[in-house]
Amino acid sequence: MAKVTREVVERAGVDVDQLLELLVKNASAEITTYYYYTILRFNLIGLAGEGIKEIAETARIEDRNHFEALLPRIYELGGNLPQDMKEFHDMSACPPAHLPADPTDVTAILKVLVEAERCAVRGYTQICNMTAGKDHRTYDLALAILNEEIEHESWFSEFLGEGPSGHFLRRGETSPFVSKFLR
Amino acid sequence: MRTFTSDELARYDGKDGRPAYIGYNGKVYDVSDSFLWRNGKHQALHVAGVDLTKALDSAPHGADLLDRFPVVGSLTQRANQDVQEDGK
Repeated sequence: MAKVTREVVERAGVDVDQLLELLVKNASAEITTYYYYTILRFNLIGLAGEGIKEIAETARIEDRNHFEALLPRIYELGGNLPQDMKEFHDMSACPPAHLPADPTDVTAILKVLVEAERCAVRGYTQICNMTAGKDHRTYDLALAILNEEIEHESWFSEFLGEGPSGHFLRRGETSPFVSKFLR
Repeated sequence: MRTFTSDELARYDGKDGRPAYIGYNGKVYDVSDSFLWRNGKHQALHVAGVDLTKALDSAPHGADLLDRFPVVGSLTQRANQDVQEDGK
């Protein structure tokens, strides 16, 4: 634990235990989403599915990056992860992104993907709101992740016919916002 | 439909297998089946068994998400007044 780091955040008025619980829950959401997206990606096949497979893969890799980026901050603030993986799974900030009953229904898969991203957008918005002007490092991290989650949501939303995403897909890179936390 | 006082609502806190109910804008919603309300707790910030009308103002989502859950009753006027007087 970084003692002074935690102390200054507490003195700024943040309930650090509550913040840690949120960070751990969102770390769980990221790694479980990475797992569930693996299954979703494998099932994005055929004329409709192949066009979406690449963005599902990008979102999957970036969610794993978010998990990796969150962990140092959790330990810096004095938190830790559960010993038991099942316990960790069940405390996720977002519901499991299960493969739909009909795995050939690409629209149903897209709805699962967009719901997962929307849950993440809400979660990191909450953390940003809690830490803005008080815990600069967690805010910077949560904002970086939020930027990527928003882009994921907009990609899947576009394929659901909800309107243009407003930007291009990645060009070979991943995590343009979060990568500075992965070095 | 059943009406709930604040004390009655508090019994549905989602702990130890009890149902998880929350109040919003005069209605009582059953969120027991929600993954995000396991053990009567939501995102480390909110607990079941209380009126969350004011709390929803600062939530990163709208009240429309509550449409996914069944309405099991209404809050008594007294319960609503308590929330307004608390200003929370």
